[in-house]
Amino acid sequence: MQLLLAQSGNIMAGRAVEFLVEDDQARPEEGVRKARKLIGQNKVDILCGVISSGVALALRDVVTEAKVPTFLLGSANDLARKAASPYIVRPTKTNWMLGHTAARWTHGKLPQARALTVASDYAAGREFVGDFADTYRQLGGQLGKQIWTPLGNADFGPLMTSIAMERPDVVYGFFAGSDAVRFLRQWKEYRLNGRIPLIGTGAFFDQEDVLPAVGDAALGTVNTFQQSPTAPASAAFNQAYMATGKPLPGEFSTSGYACGQVIKAVLERMGGDISDWENARQALFASPVETALGHMPFDPRNGQAILDIHVNEVRRGQGGKMINTVVHTYQAVRDPGPAT
Amino acid sequence: MGYALVQILNALSFSALLLLTGLGLSVVLSLMNFINLAHGSFYLLGSYVAVYWFASGAPWWLAFPMAFAAAALAGALLERFPFRGFYARTHLMQVLLTYGLSVIFADLMRWGFGAQILSPELPEALQGVVFLLDIPFPLYRLFIIAAGLVLGVLLWLLLDRTLWGAVVRASVSDRGMVEALGIDTRRVFAAVLVLSAGLGGISGALGAGMLAAYPGLDEEVLVLALITVVAGGLGTFRGTVAGALVVGFALTFSKLWFPEFANAAAFSAMAALLLLRPNGLVAPRQRQV
Repeated sequence: MQLLLAQSGNIMAGRAVEFLVEDDQARPEEGVRKARKLIGQNKVDILCGVISSGVALALRDVVTEAKVPTFLLGSANDLARKAASPYIVRPTKTNWMLGHTAARWTHGKLPQARALTVASDYAAGREFVGDFADTYRQLGGQLGKQIWTPLGNADFGPLMTSIAMERPDVVYGFFAGSDAVRFLRQWKEYRLNGRIPLIGTGAFFDQEDVLPAVGDAALGTVNTFQQSPTAPASAAFNQAYMATGKPLPGEFSTSGYACGQVIKAVLERMGGDISDWENARQALFASPVETALGHMPFDPRNGQAILDIHVNEVRRGQGGKMINTVVHTYQAVRDPGPAT
Repeated sequence: MGYALVQILNALSFSALLLLTGLGLSVVLSLMNFINLAHGSFYLLGSYVAVYWFASGAPWWLAFPMAFAAAALAGALLERFPFRGFYARTHLMQVLLTYGLSVIFADLMRWGFGAQILSPELPEALQGVVFLLDIPFPLYRLFIIAAGLVLGVLLWLLLDRTLWGAVVRASVSDRGMVEALGIDTRRVFAAVLVLSAGLGGISGALGAGMLAAYPGLDEEVLVLALITVVAGGLGTFRGTVAGALVVGFALTFSKLWFPEFANAAAFSAMAALLLLRPNGLVAPRQRQV
């Protein structure tokens, strides 16, 4: 986001942009407090951000009541469904998009496989695994054990031994941050890598946070994700991002940039004036935006982006670095949206 | 059979890690009655030292003494100022001081080592697995178990079986009498604190392969260490060993039996234990002065 602003000289559609940052600490009550402060005290025109689904859901009523256009990056399914709001635009995936495509890919590759799932036990993990399991079952796949671990789990050893005993044909998983790093390292320590195919959501193998910390433990694993450093749409952003001394970008940096591109697009289409949000929204949804996440049309029912979901395989790139490499793309995946 | 054996080893390796994190905290608490909530920072410092040392290509086993030295040095500086002035203060003051310091260190380390997750490239010698009845078990975990055992025994010998250990214990019981014998107790306490910080550092180096290193780990480790020390019995060394075993096994097996309620199950068991034995598993002998 800051990179995009620097590139455009802090000017979008002829208007100077003032950029304010607050930290929600991934806690809903903190997020609400900060959002109220930004709206009430700083009188912002647009809110953008939030990674945690919990914070995103908590902000929903605050911004809808205050009628402040908000671009949310939290991916809870409900924000595209029963909690959709006319003031919320989501230029990112829903959890369903990733769980659903992972099930299609797994079933296409290994039709007879018994799939075991393992994930962090919180809202996002439940959604990813639930959506994977639903689609996988509908396709006729066979599900094995479902394993849940508390968020911030120190030791995966006992789990690894359990998985080794279960001998599933494939494992579907979701972890993020330090949990992902520990899981993948211990996955290799217990010699499960290469023996059992591992598939997961993109955050589990995030290019920026996770892959640099796990060596070759993730080699050969597959993930479904809206972001990939090898996707053609990401190339220009990769270059600009790495020129600032950063590594290959992962989800958060790419989504932040893409979010900025969407905001810029709506401002440009409205000549810099979005005080009439209903019109601005129509203008944004009228035609797709080109972003670092690719061609991005919006679903007018819920303001949810319709995205290309890539199937990434972790491969060895130049200099032995592990890189999420696109092996397939599901075009224009659209969330089922609100029940009609 | 093999499954049960490997799960017991899993639990033992986690217990060893808990013991390592708890030892340093327990040493200052049991010997000096000083609560050091900055202990997690020593641990994290040790982890970072190990990550960089393993990456540097120097002989890998030197990483452990280096981590000990780095954290001990930090401990020595902190002992001069401000810890020394707080030994005689109440626990609440100690908690305020050391918790505040730990927040400062967390920011300093984020600034120095970056916010990304780092994990060490383990040396070849530790990367293997042994097969126990056809089930793989990582060598690195056997190494952790052995390290926990060796450090625990060494510390016990040092504090319980040497003259120096006797002086330390005597200084706690009756400082005036020990001073009268011509021993500078300030130095004794300084040495204990440095030892404790060093233990934190070496634990960090040993644990880095299991827990990785990143901002925020210091607090997570501190919580684990506190649970271990409290469950085992505040202020006794044997209690810390018992605590590590109980917490390690409880957390491991609750993960297997009730994965969805793992933390709830393990911690309610511990709460029940504390209700039944408020002083922990091994209650300290009351010293009479």
